[in-house]
Amino acid sequence: MIRALDISTSALVAQRTRLNAVSGNIANISTLKNEKGEAVPYQPREVVFQTDEAITTSGASGVKVDEIKINESDPLYRHQPNHPLAIKEGKWKGYVAYPNIDLTTEMVNALESTRAYEANVGVMEITKNISRETLTILA
Amino acid sequence: VPPVGSAGSNRLFVPERPLMPEWVKQARVHLGTQNSNGVSGTRSVPDGGTLVPPGIANENPSDGFAKLLFDEVRNVNQMQTTATNNVHSLLTGGDVNEAEVLTSVQKADLAFRMLLQVRNKLMDAYREIQQIQI
Repeated sequence: MIRALDISTSALVAQRTRLNAVSGNIANISTLKNEKGEAVPYQPREVVFQTDEAITTSGASGVKVDEIKINESDPLYRHQPNHPLAIKEGKWKGYVAYPNIDLTTEMVNALESTRAYEANVGVMEITKNISRETLTILA
Repeated sequence: VPPVGSAGSNRLFVPERPLMPEWVKQARVHLGTQNSNGVSGTRSVPDGGTLVPPGIANENPSDGFAKLLFDEVRNVNQMQTTATNNVHSLLTGGDVNEAEVLTSVQKADLAFRMLLQVRNKLMDAYREIQQIQI
């Protein structure tokens, strides 16, 4: 019974990580330089989940974050020739590379993650209640 | 967990009666209110006979219900300690996930309630036996 709480908790932790990734993506929606100061626009992070066999009870498994993948898709180019970070030569001369982050997608991800979080809290509430209920058998 | 009620506090429990269930007897042995050498049930009655059916005196008190109970007490204590430590690190800005902390608190609470119910059941059974008239 208590293991079911662990499974729900693993989901809470995982969804929380996903929400953190979304926060990071939205926070960096106009970040034009990477952590080393190079003119590489921020690449959005995507959290990949995996079943966690370490948290198992009677066939049900928990979930864990497998990896946080970096979305390698091409940046968005905006034509801003006077921008200090404008590309000097080549095909994209005069353009500035912006992070390829779709705000709508990120907000939907955040919402989905929140709903999943709430659902898991709801399951925990049920687990808690049936545990308490079960104890009244003995009382 | 130190034994509850060692020498001097034997009055915590009345002398055993013949129909006391085995698990109550074992718990009493474990609680230190009886000798743990297994002869606790062989108290002589005035006519010189014993009240205990054969076989009971040889049972190992470290097995069975008493062991289960005390292991459970230790487990619950461990869970409570973990929960307290987790809450402490959460409140002092440690790098812990609040969901995990709150779950550990809830688990400790549930485990304690379970133990409490078992204890209540044990005490109920004990009082029931105490009131048996011979």
